[in-house]
Amino acid sequence: MKDGVKKNTSEKWGKNVKLSMCLMGLGQFFYGQIGRGLCYLAILLLAVVYFVYRGFSDLIGLFTLGTKEADTWLGLEGDNSVVMLLMGILSVIALLFFVFCYLSNIKDAYETQKLCERGGHPAKFKEDLKQFLDKKFYKTVLFLPIVGVCVFNILPIIFMILIAFTNYGGNIVPPKLVDWVGIDNFVQIATLSQFAPTFGRILIWNLIWAAVSTAVNYFAGLGLALLLNKECVKGKAFWRAFPMLAYAVPGFITLLGFKFMFSYGGPINQIITDMGYRAVGFLDIDAKWIARGIGFAVNAWISVPSIMLLATGILSNRDASQMESAKIDGANAFQQFRHITLPFVLFSTTPVLISQFIGNFNNFGIFFFLRGGLYIDGYFLASDTDLLINWLYNLSISNNYYNVGATISLVIFMITSFISLLIYTRSSSYREEDTFR
Amino acid sequence: MKKLWCSLLISSMCIGLLSGCGKENGETPSGTQEGKAETETTEKSADLSAIYSGELEKDVTIRVLENDTAIAEGYFQEVIDAFNEAYADYGIVAVDANMDQYSNLADDGPYGYGPDVLYQANDVLMKYVEGKHIYPIPAQNLESYDKIPQTAWDAYKTVIDGVTYYMGVPVNVQSSMLYYRKDMLPENWETEWDKNGNKIPDMVENWNDMYRYSQSIVDKGEGKFGYMRSMYDVYFSSGFLFSYGAYVFGDQNTNAEDIGFSAGNAEIGANVLLQQAGLMNEDCIDDSVTVSAYSKLADGTYFATMTTPDVKSLFLKELAMVYENEGMSADEAKAKAEENLVVTDVPRLPASGDLTEENPELIPLKAMGGVNGYAISAYTKAPNACLAFVEFATNYDMIMKRHETLGIVPARSDAAEAAGGISEIMYHNLDEGNIVVMPSIRAVEQIWTPAQTFFQDLAKDAFRTSDKKYGSLEQIKAGLEAVDKQIYDAVHTLATN
Repeated sequence: MKDGVKKNTSEKWGKNVKLSMCLMGLGQFFYGQIGRGLCYLAILLLAVVYFVYRGFSDLIGLFTLGTKEADTWLGLEGDNSVVMLLMGILSVIALLFFVFCYLSNIKDAYETQKLCERGGHPAKFKEDLKQFLDKKFYKTVLFLPIVGVCVFNILPIIFMILIAFTNYGGNIVPPKLVDWVGIDNFVQIATLSQFAPTFGRILIWNLIWAAVSTAVNYFAGLGLALLLNKECVKGKAFWRAFPMLAYAVPGFITLLGFKFMFSYGGPINQIITDMGYRAVGFLDIDAKWIARGIGFAVNAWISVPSIMLLATGILSNRDASQMESAKIDGANAFQQFRHITLPFVLFSTTPVLISQFIGNFNNFGIFFFLRGGLYIDGYFLASDTDLLINWLYNLSISNNYYNVGATISLVIFMITSFISLLIYTRSSSYREEDTFR
Repeated sequence: MKKLWCSLLISSMCIGLLSGCGKENGETPSGTQEGKAETETTEKSADLSAIYSGELEKDVTIRVLENDTAIAEGYFQEVIDAFNEAYADYGIVAVDANMDQYSNLADDGPYGYGPDVLYQANDVLMKYVEGKHIYPIPAQNLESYDKIPQTAWDAYKTVIDGVTYYMGVPVNVQSSMLYYRKDMLPENWETEWDKNGNKIPDMVENWNDMYRYSQSIVDKGEGKFGYMRSMYDVYFSSGFLFSYGAYVFGDQNTNAEDIGFSAGNAEIGANVLLQQAGLMNEDCIDDSVTVSAYSKLADGTYFATMTTPDVKSLFLKELAMVYENEGMSADEAKAKAEENLVVTDVPRLPASGDLTEENPELIPLKAMGGVNGYAISAYTKAPNACLAFVEFATNYDMIMKRHETLGIVPARSDAAEAAGGISEIMYHNLDEGNIVVMPSIRAVEQIWTPAQTFFQDLAKDAFRTSDKKYGSLEQIKAGLEAVDKQIYDAVHTLATN
């Protein structure tokens, strides 16, 4: 049996394939594909040069995170753990890229072998280049974006995830050396007795906030779009401009404006006191639900215009004849909305709804600007309007505990991704995706 | 040339290090007190000479981070022009670092982006000490050393391995002052409100008379108030606690394990705030008074408020505007505003904490304050040139110019004396220990939210009807203890190291 396998393998992998296994591009040379062979050889040389000069040390640095602490007063240059972590990740990406190229080099030699066995001739370099402008054009155009995604997206995400497994933060910041601590940060968060009650309270409020504010924004935006879509409304462009004004003003300026409006010295309390009543603490320490209500309203003020615009665009594709038929069949306005308009809009906007939900779940600005700087009784370093993201900020960023921040971020990520996947896989956008294809 | 300097620097550092090792091994006599003192002094100078060779680097550019006001008002340009002229022979050029005034050296410095010289508050600068992001200053060698009170130097003092270092040079002092309208004093104040006959109204000398006067204004029912201040502001409210024995951190603000907002009789100070809030309106709960104090002091809604001296020009501007609207010319309005707006020392507190007590024993108000100063980045390539700049910018002439242009309160005694007025009062307060300088350790970042929440809750309590939370001194004490616990939790709960 073993011999059989060996024989098959031996037949499967020809001499040139084995040469490519030994030296990248060599098999291609023997097939007369000089250009392609040179490219593979160049990749190999680049990899060797990179790993000799710094890749290997970067890779080791990823494990050690530095061994020599800098001392600026003594002029001693040391290791920067954070840079080493970053460069270490880059070296892993480079290593993976090299392995990918190596395997692709073998695969390429094998495919050429098969092509030759079928009586074909190995492609010349010019033909290769032409392919990159024709059949493999997608590779040409996707190359730079993929590099960009790796550097600007994947690298920071991996960096953040890895930070959760280090002691980076507090007093341990460069030039001090950072170390790997395994899952200590997760254990610390899970075992801190002060955390559990506050986490539970804030999580419940955070879920209510995300669900209600998403629903409010969505239906208010859709309602506004339907209203401004009605034929009887004159000067639609004019009316649509008003929500756009609210949308155009930067969010934090709007929030600071609302904070002032609802403050004790603001215009709303001015009116209330002028009418002979006592000033109301809309956002003060006792204003739990009033402040939450104001948060919903202010968030709607900021977010409804974008939903309105989106819904306006989708509604323009609505089949008017369907609505007409429903009307002839005796459906009232609500029934038309419930059974035709809403499913139609929901189908197209479920991914947007999910992104709105995630955005609202992680809406840092609303309560940071409206009612920041409060720690309420019964909450561990948080207030009763804080969302998880605000709490995360209080606990980690303002303390420079980047490791704890990264750990809680991962927990938040797990929660939001679970909810998002659950909603998405149960939505018609996912289940009936083929319907509109 | 650079390599030569580097070699020299490294050689001198090695000598410094070796000499340090030698002493620890007991090669120099250290059995006697004199011997010990000598060792410490030698160690200090050896370490600093490793940084400052004493020879100015030539043809270098040093980037200076200044505060925005100094740049906007033209003071910074004046100082760098004068410095560049004085050091033209060495080719040393000081330039604006062109960075945000709150930029973080710890983030930028290790990567070569930070400034060479920084002007920031003591609590900000001292955050950089832990990672050795700034160099120690050979303070004793500076011309200004004896002119600046030890309290100000202490704001920049750190002890590493038993050796004391000064990490910055104090430039100006910041603390609370009382602002009041002289024309809103009662007409008979000289006979009825000047018991000690010192020609200073009693209501601006002690909080009991301020309380009494505020009461009389409020009782008229014209919507006017006596003393007004946003209570949530820790910077201004914490002084009332400090005056009765509270502190921020133990061991002269260096021990973050010991948090003392509830220490001593702090609850008495908090009760003073509660009594004051009772004569204000709800605006004192949030930042409404802070935002509107300029206009409301100008239009006569408030008689007095407490804030820092650097905003005097804003009060004057508002008051002059009111006078102009009443028909005065711009010059007349300005002159009248300057005559009627008085900035003075903060009033004294009753030892009992009872603002209604007649003829109380008075104690000084220990207000929170800060000391802004210059520091030198440990990432600079030209420490000697930077030190020359710091020495130049803190000499008498430059500090006086800074005072004249920006209205700062100098930390130098000679400049404070020459400036007179507020500067002299504040310098005196600093010297007397009546200004509690903000702690210079990283944990200070965690005091604000818990303390601010407490002060806001306390102010709100003055307006609660049936559900008062701070009805007794015991309840106030418990509130303050909760503040200490929150700060402790914020500092220590997540600390893994």
